Amino acid sequence: MATDLRISNISKIYPGCIANDNVSLQFKSGKIYALLGENGAGKSTLVKILSGVISPDNGEVFLNEKNLKLSSPLDAKKNKIGMVFQHFNLFETLSVFENLSIDATEDNKSLRVRINEILKKYNFSIDLDVPVLNLSAGQKQKVEIIRCLLRSPKVLIMDEPTSVLTEQETEELFISLKKFCDEGILIIYITHKLKEVLSLCDEVAVMRKGKVVSVSQTQNEKVETLANKMVGQKLGKIKKKIKISKNKDEIFKVKHLNFYSDDPFETNLVNLNFSVKKGECLGIAGISGNGQNELFQILSGEIITPNTSIIFRNKEIAKLNPKQRREYLMAFSPEDRISQAAVPELKIYENVALNNFKSSNFFEKGLVNERKIKEHSKKILSDFSVNTDNVELKSQFLSGGNLQKLILGRELITAPELLICYNPTWGLDVGAINYIHETLIKINDQEKSTILISTDTEELLKLSDRIAVIYKGKLSKIMPSDEVTPEKLGILMGGGSID
Amino acid sequence: MEDLLIRIEKRNDVPTTLYFFTPFIAIILTIIGGGIIFYALGFNPAEALKFYFITPISNLYGFSELLLKATPLCLIAIGLSFCFKSNNWNIGAEGQLTFGAIVGGGVALLFYNQEGFYILPLIIIAGAIGGMIFALIPAILKTYFNTNEILVSLMLVYVSKLILDYLVVGPWSNPEGFNFPETRQFSDSSRMPLLFDGLRVHAGIFIALAAVLVSWFVLYKTYLGFQIKVSGLSLKTAKYAGFKGKTMILIVFMISGACAGLAGVGEITGPIGQLHRMISPDYGFTAIIVAFLGRLNPFGIIFASLVVSLTYLGAETAQIFLQIPQYTGQVFQGMILFFLLASDYLLFFKVKILSLKKNELGH
Repeated sequence: MATDLRISNISKIYPGCIANDNVSLQFKSGKIYALLGENGAGKSTLVKILSGVISPDNGEVFLNEKNLKLSSPLDAKKNKIGMVFQHFNLFETLSVFENLSIDATEDNKSLRVRINEILKKYNFSIDLDVPVLNLSAGQKQKVEIIRCLLRSPKVLIMDEPTSVLTEQETEELFISLKKFCDEGILIIYITHKLKEVLSLCDEVAVMRKGKVVSVSQTQNEKVETLANKMVGQKLGKIKKKIKISKNKDEIFKVKHLNFYSDDPFETNLVNLNFSVKKGECLGIAGISGNGQNELFQILSGEIITPNTSIIFRNKEIAKLNPKQRREYLMAFSPEDRISQAAVPELKIYENVALNNFKSSNFFEKGLVNERKIKEHSKKILSDFSVNTDNVELKSQFLSGGNLQKLILGRELITAPELLICYNPTWGLDVGAINYIHETLIKINDQEKSTILISTDTEELLKLSDRIAVIYKGKLSKIMPSDEVTPEKLGILMGGGSID
Repeated sequence: MEDLLIRIEKRNDVPTTLYFFTPFIAIILTIIGGGIIFYALGFNPAEALKFYFITPISNLYGFSELLLKATPLCLIAIGLSFCFKSNNWNIGAEGQLTFGAIVGGGVALLFYNQEGFYILPLIIIAGAIGGMIFALIPAILKTYFNTNEILVSLMLVYVSKLILDYLVVGPWSNPEGFNFPETRQFSDSSRMPLLFDGLRVHAGIFIALAAVLVSWFVLYKTYLGFQIKVSGLSLKTAKYAGFKGKTMILIVFMISGACAGLAGVGEITGPIGQLHRMISPDYGFTAIIVAFLGRLNPFGIIFASLVVSLTYLGAETAQIFLQIPQYTGQVFQGMILFFLLASDYLLFFKVKILSLKKNELGH
């Protein structure tokens, strides 16, 4: 029997963020659907609503024209909606069979027979009696899939399934998914990887900032068209005057930056080499999750990588921590302003004291010099037009834009030679974005350099002098930004190549 | 059909006054809860509570006992506040107390037949160092081997208790002690001076008060205190600011261990005067309650240590006058913690009950 899943006007609002804004979509069995979007676009929220983990503020879900009430994961199960999450829900120390039998309704004997049938049918080779911790990521995922198949699902939702898989495991997964599809299971495939969408899926819905921005047949799409839909391609009118100066000094030079992590949710970085000239803005584009987090932390000194050389103003700084790097006049503005760049529970002046640079005298002989910190904070508040002059205010009462101004102010008041920022305007309103863009342009005018890591193509084209793209932990060649078009960036961001 | 939706939301702004007032609410609730328990056991609640909370401190001797028991609780809790404020969960203060007492007691035994003004300071320093070293074990394992400090520090409590057991039964037992599991009595120069004749409260209380003042200064007026505060609120931020995380873990554990070690030394050179198996009625564990009841604030901890000390005394009086086991003291301590955590939850979160008609959900 054909399955028809319809989502109608779903909205979900979290404090300060609209995760799903009036989302309507329709899916029919016999096809594989992709739900594409960047991190934070609202895909996961939608999936959680479909699987009953959270309830929407508004909207309805229909399965074969029956209105579903999904108030717990159990409801999703009853209605034959199966779900494989990105992070596995398995008991590592129990055997595969024990994991599968936990919520089974039949006796072990017939369950084993049914599992073996599934293994045979889909050509899965998994030993049912080994503990799950001995399995590879791909095998664990198969266990999760078997768990869904045991309930003969009508709908199977896969959330970022390939993020922990090897290339070969990914291929195997795709073969299985196509088989499921032929058998009439409706498959919804959630991802931010463009190539996978093109090679696997029949239809693709793109989400951006909580909204569905396009629904189309994948055969009509290319990597770059999807990338543009995903990140938004409105080009700004104000553009910085690009300066390409060949004879300027290289102020910052990175050589052989490699990063290897055991954590499958981190991205490895492979041999990055780049340099920044005096007064220049180097933009690093890319779809989030391609290594930007790791790169920022290595540049700021939170992660120290062996055998990397980072030269800043003719000094080797690769082994220094963030505080020491600040003393050489570097400054950092991380992506996560609420739990990393500032502490919401601390007062404004205490957050200012986090940048305890050498000449600040914030802490003389180990003692807090509150007067000095407060004076300094007042100056930041007025110089960077934060809408308060009360330095005793807890930072949690500042809006995102004002908090970001405070953070930038704190980092810039030391007149650093190099500012490294990561998604500095993420989640801000237009006014704050403009202010921050103007500030970043001003820094370059004063012959100070910036590295701008951003997932916002528009922002990068507006602010950078040269741009490179990071994809799967590898950096493309660095291009002068007047030679770059959004289309070119789109191709590189999707893993394609130009020229 | 009506659906009840219960939603739990975080409160954005909790007034500071209310934050420091909730411990009092917890204490009042504990007294009410205690009354109910006494009633269920067949006692007149008012009378039982009077035996518990008033009789013990109705005379000078009782008051001195109150200070005597509050001294180690206060000292240990002050040390623990450094750890807890920076997100390091040192649960093993009892072990650090024991080990401090072993090292300090060892020095006292070296001088068992000698007198001299220098002996007591030596013992005190030895005790602090002993506690510090013992606290360094979980700290080093945490920083360099990524172990869980809760488990390691807790398990080390039993290690130190067994070492003490071995020493008082074996090599350090009193040669003239008829094989009782205890050491020689310490010499007079090894004992804490008593503050008043006939009362047991001793000079250790000044060490505790000094610890309160010093810790207030360090926590609120120094760079170290600032780093501790930031790391406790957000480790990510501490890393981003470039604080030396590992060094800080070692420092807070050392401070905490030294305080516990001092408390141990205070006990053996104060009321006890020798080493034996029962040098502490779990002061090291109870001090965890004291630290939280005092809101990890040095002056709050003074108050909290007096309250919790009273539950020890009350339990003893209740045992004498009402013939109920002195473990009721632990019941009261447990209730205080329970009510404190419960009122904190209501303080930081609000529970909203929304009732919606089912057909309203879609619109």
